[in-house]
Amino acid sequence: MSVRNAALVALVIGAVLFFGFNLKFPNFPPVSVKAEALMCIGGVIDDAGHCSKETVFPITNSLITTLIVDVLLVLVVLFGVKNQMVPRGFQNFIELVVGSLHDFAVGVDKKNVAKFFPFIATAFLLILLSNFIGLFPGAGSIGMCQKVTDPARIEAMENKAIKPTSFDTLPLQCDHHEHEELVPFLRAPTADLNMTLALGLMSVILIEYFGLKALGLEYLTRFFNFREGPMFTVIGFIELLSEFIRIISFAFRLFGNIFAGEVVLIVMGYLFPYMLPLPFYAFEVFVALMQAVIFSVLTLVFMSMATQAHGGGHDEQEAAAH
Amino acid sequence: MEAQVGIDNDGLRFIAMALAIGLGAIGPGAGIGVVFSGALQAMGRNPEAEGMLRTYMFLGFALAEVPFILSMVFGLLIGFKII
Repeated sequence: MSVRNAALVALVIGAVLFFGFNLKFPNFPPVSVKAEALMCIGGVIDDAGHCSKETVFPITNSLITTLIVDVLLVLVVLFGVKNQMVPRGFQNFIELVVGSLHDFAVGVDKKNVAKFFPFIATAFLLILLSNFIGLFPGAGSIGMCQKVTDPARIEAMENKAIKPTSFDTLPLQCDHHEHEELVPFLRAPTADLNMTLALGLMSVILIEYFGLKALGLEYLTRFFNFREGPMFTVIGFIELLSEFIRIISFAFRLFGNIFAGEVVLIVMGYLFPYMLPLPFYAFEVFVALMQAVIFSVLTLVFMSMATQAHGGGHDEQEAAAH
Repeated sequence: MEAQVGIDNDGLRFIAMALAIGLGAIGPGAGIGVVFSGALQAMGRNPEAEGMLRTYMFLGFALAEVPFILSMVFGLLIGFKII
């Protein structure tokens, strides 16, 4: 390392240490597991952000973000794709994305890819954009202040020995002394369990549908198999149970990863706001992509397994594919 | 006069949640490692089979992860006072 580089590194470390120990960090923000309501259709929202009893449809912050994601996807399809024979500009990019997804799906199941691909690709794009939008600056940090009414939370806020911080003087801060908390306008849709549960339910129902359609009633013999002895009966029941576990595991894998990522980013940002969150942010971008891939690939693999007859049919299909 | 320091029900609940999630993560962590290392070795030895191996790799990953998902669900259920 040259002298110049060493001096630069020393300067940066010194600056980080100086500012790190002289700035007082803000109080730890609330982390809400569920999406918070911003509006209540048919009811009224109180100071604490709870909807009244006659509410028919609460509008939560993750719902708003979901609508934004939907509008973005629809706009891309409406204005980005013009069915040119020789694609130009933006359509090149879209064709690249859809083409590489299709190539991957063909590699998993060549025979049924036309049936499976629409759901897989839609789920992939929706989940990917949903994950990314939660990482946008301002997604979890811009919102409105709501009063806390839960006595346990108020006690926790008072016990935390709220000390004045350098951030308190900034405008547009929520007043912690008045027991106010920030409710963000935008929240990653996949950080809401309702969304991921809906996606998991949809994918499991489609898996069963494709299985029943391809094999007919024979598909059910993998769950209720009384002919080949007690061993296979037990295995059948375990298979049936695992179909239901799939819903939970689809839902909680996505929700857990994205929500935990947000919490990790918040914790790192408040532990040491200088440079420490950067590698974690990069990792979260990777996780966002990875979870979308895992969701769609698993759905594809399960669908392709459901359409294959159990027993000897597998080898013949493999032979036909080559 | 010194305040009494003890563990109340909430504290026990949080310890139970942390234990459920943490202990449940040990096995699946090792299992997922084994799945991916096996798949990578097989891909290195036989690059032509990569497409098929990747499929089964993700399948194995999903199966190995189920215990952790279950323990996380139960941990959250304990932590949020549902059971």
